[in-house]
Amino acid sequence: MIRLALPKGRNLEPALAAFRAAGIPLLGLDPGGRSLRTRLEEGVEVLSLKDWDLPIYVEHGVADLGIVGSDVLAEVDGDLLVPVRLREGRSRMSLIGRSGEALPEPGGQVRLATKYPNTARRLVEDRPWGAEIVKLSGSIELAPLLHLAELALDIVQTGRTLQENGLVEIETVAEVAACLVVNRASYQRHRALLNEWIGRLEAAEVVS
Amino acid sequence: MKVSAALPTGVAALLFESAKRRRGMEQRLVARLAEAGYSEAILPILDYLEPYESLLTPASRGELYRFIDRDGEQLALRADFTPMLARLLAPRLHSMPLPLRLFYRGDVIRYEEERAGRQREFYQLGAELLGVPGEPGEREVLRLFLDALAASGAGADRPVQVVLGLAGCLDRLLLGCGAADPSALASALARRERSAVRRACPELVPVVETGLPERPEDLGEAEGRRLRGLLELRDELAGLFPDADLFVDLAEFARHGQDPRLTPEQGDRSYYDGLVFRAFAGPSALPVGGGGRYDRMFRALGAEVAAAGFSVSVDRLLEAVP
Repeated sequence: MIRLALPKGRNLEPALAAFRAAGIPLLGLDPGGRSLRTRLEEGVEVLSLKDWDLPIYVEHGVADLGIVGSDVLAEVDGDLLVPVRLREGRSRMSLIGRSGEALPEPGGQVRLATKYPNTARRLVEDRPWGAEIVKLSGSIELAPLLHLAELALDIVQTGRTLQENGLVEIETVAEVAACLVVNRASYQRHRALLNEWIGRLEAAEVVS
Repeated sequence: MKVSAALPTGVAALLFESAKRRRGMEQRLVARLAEAGYSEAILPILDYLEPYESLLTPASRGELYRFIDRDGEQLALRADFTPMLARLLAPRLHSMPLPLRLFYRGDVIRYEEERAGRQREFYQLGAELLGVPGEPGEREVLRLFLDALAASGAGADRPVQVVLGLAGCLDRLLLGCGAADPSALASALARRERSAVRRACPELVPVVETGLPERPEDLGEAEGRRLRGLLELRDELAGLFPDADLFVDLAEFARHGQDPRLTPEQGDRSYYDGLVFRAFAGPSALPVGGGGRYDRMFRALGAEVAAAGFSVSVDRLLEAVP
């Protein structure tokens, strides 16, 4: 049996679509349901996990593989294999500010609000300006809007929320994709099946 | 006064049954190593920092607990037994009869980010074989490693997985495909990132998928020969240890390059320069132990001797015992 961890939230739909396209239908799964673990006929058990918890479940082998955003992966820095990234559901990690604002002048010091403090710290390391990083857990856009911070580092999907609130993307920092992650030990144990799945995802051109 | 029983992050106190289990495991392992003719080395928990300067990578330096002693000397808590033993033996080797067979046990202390399964103080047990070059030394160490894993009782319900590789054997491919950043390509290979590897170096795709190149010669003549030797050793040991799953997977150790252009800034402990291996027991992706050949470390310390060894994490092994 192999255990697959699927994320709740924005990466779930692209993940299911990719598996369907690859001919891995996950029959019997009720994605909208409340079930936390579902045993499917194909010898697959599906766990439904929060994005932020998923890497630790896979690293510890509770799940053999999973789908998780590269934004989370970069932040928690688990020791996971990342064979492919889904094409659907891509977004970007960007520095956000009030419209009319630009990046700080060299030597400047600002406050930067984010859900991703480690990523933010690495980003600021290479900059000519400094930042005090403020970790928030949601509605990051509010921070620059209400002057809690000059900048925010967050995911931007369409940019509509920003526009409606008088905010702008000052700089795109990275592309964010949902990634297939695999436990290091499981990769040895289930190599044939995993290679087959990854091969099918590639053949269906839903990953890159 | 009410006293809290809280401990600092990453350390644990074992009482009663958990202490008994730890000691039981330790004794089983020690008995096995002693039987194989290894004698114990008892090493200090504190040492000068200076002898290790040339061996540290940015990552291993970041893990050290360092401080200034009252007399102004820079000290560090023991973070790894192998370099400590090496630096103590290197200046004395000329007066010692080779081969040397030594084992050690004790705590190592490393700064780790606070995460499940990552202790800052953990109990290690390991063995080092000095003065047996080439394949015979590697076979002895690997056999002893498999023996120790079997003696630990881990893997009684699911096979222990031992992954074997060769440090540096992908260097030629990694450097030869014209990648802009060969070190980043090595990291991508170690994470089995297919598309990135396919774009940069199609010859490495079979290594991602199967752990091996299409033909051993694809690695170059000398490396191809080493790989054939390793595959033979794997088959021989698989016959002797039917309860373990042995794989040769070169991608697993892609970051153990030998060429300076491939040295990743953050990375695995990079002192292995020949056979390299790690074992997984239970479901976790955190290895229960590993080792390999590290002749180069002694050379960096001014001694010429063949060296190979392994260590196991006693607590991770305990977690894997059903």
